[in-house]
Order: sequence, then C-alpha cells, then structure tokens
Amino acid sequence: MRTSLNDIQKIDDYLLQYAGKADRALFEARLILQPALQENLLWQQKTYEIIKQYSRRQLKAEIESVHQLLFTEPEHIPFRRKILGIFLKK
Amino acid sequence: MTHTMEIEDVAAERKILFMQLYQQAFPLVAKYVHRMGGTFEEVKDVFQDALVIYYEKLAASGVNLQYSERSYLLGIAKHLWAKKNKLNNRYTSLPDSLQGIAMEESAGQSSTEKLLELLHTSGQKCMELLRAFYYDKLPMHKIASLFKFSSERSATVQKYKCLEKVRDIVKEKSLTYEDFLE
Repeated sequence: MRTSLNDIQKIDDYLLQYAGKADRALFEARLILQPALQENLLWQQKTYEIIKQYSRRQLKAEIESVHQLLFTEPEHIPFRRKILGIFLKK
Repeated sequence: MTHTMEIEDVAAERKILFMQLYQQAFPLVAKYVHRMGGTFEEVKDVFQDALVIYYEKLAASGVNLQYSERSYLLGIAKHLWAKKNKLNNRYTSLPDSLQGIAMEESAGQSSTEKLLELLHTSGQKCMELLRAFYYDKLPMHKIASLFKFSSERSATVQKYKCLEKVRDIVKEKSLTYEDFLE
C-alpha cells in the first residue's frame, strides 16, 4: 500500500486500539514530530463519527420501513389490533 | 446485479430481526409509555431509538442476555423515556453496558446534514463498505464476499482507500462549512 494508506492504517489501529503498547508509543512519538499526521488523525476521528451518523440514519430508515409494514399491511392487522387495544385502555 | 442481491441478504436479515423485535417488544413498550401518559408517536420514537441502541450493542459485542430481548428493549425504552421527560427516577442513569452509546445528535446540525447528503450521493459505495466494517461490524470474510472482493486483504485495502476518500471530503467540506467545527 502507498504511504498515505499505510498512515491511515496506523491511525486506524491506534484510534481503535488494535495497536500494541510498543506501536502505540512509537506512533505517539510520530504524532508529536509530524503535525500533518496529527491533523490527519483528527480528521480521521471526525470521519468515524460521520460514518456512525450516516449508518445510524440508514438503520433508522430500515427500522421505519419495518414499522410501515407492520402498520399498513393487511397481514399485520392482528398486531395493530393488539396495539390499538393498549391505547384504548384507560 | 449479484452485488446488490448480496447486500440485500444482510439487509433482509436485519429486516427479519426488527420485525421480530417489533412483534415481541413493541406492545410492552406501548403499554409502559401509554401508562406514563405518552402518545403513539412517542412510543414509536422511543421504541425506534431503543432498537438502534440495541442493534449497536449487538454489533459491538453481542448482547449477554440475562433476560429476554423484549425485557432488555423495554429497559432501554424506559431509560429513554425517563431521559426525554427528565424524570428523576432510577431509570435516568445509563446502565454500564450502555455507556458510550448516546443518542444525542451533536451540535452544528446543518453542515453535518449537508455532508451526510453529499456522501450519500457521491460516496455511497464507500459509505456502504465503511458501514459494514465500522457500524455493522460484519466479519471480514462476510464483507469480502458481500462486496465481491477476491480476498480479505483486498477488502481491507479498499476500506483504507474509502476511509481516505471520505476523510478528504470531510476535511474539504468542513473548511467550507464554517459552523462545522463548533
């Protein structure tokens, strides 16, 4: 892999804590010596956060479509009746 | 063609899971929220949030269930309800097992919105791959076969390429969206 991808891997291992003690120490030294690497690390951290938010949205959409099925399809009428029964109780 | 179908297998599995969880646990949560004076919409919100939390827990480490899935989901839902309504009861503190899984959306919404939309339109393939690795946490061999890689190694290399691509987009767009870094 080219250098930039190698760095991505190193940052990944470091942030996700797959790197061993020695590698971590070495990497931390590099971070101090190479501000550009440090900057990339921060952006990569941000990227993981974005991946999470993106994925959550996709997941929520999947959940919503299941909800829609349950609350519109004829085969799920018994389920809807059950729920309605709950809300009609005092 | 085949690629799409394979991805749908995992999505189909999730659909079955959510369908089952809905049927098992939604009535319980509905009973609870209704008793607490909540509406159907509120049940829906709380339940769906609980499902997301449950799924993330499942993906991260599996769930070591002492009780049934529906009891677990009900517990999460009760916690979310308490938080939402700022109730001062034993449900407001997050159980240890759920630490770190917060549902709070971070500030600076609109620029994140723009970014997410951009990534959905121009980075979808990469985002799908990254989701499989980092969010769904699918096993390597499954990712390799789902995404039609010749080996796990090439899947990993592509992962790093995608990470780099998305990171560059995030960096570039953040410098444009002034409020992004707040």
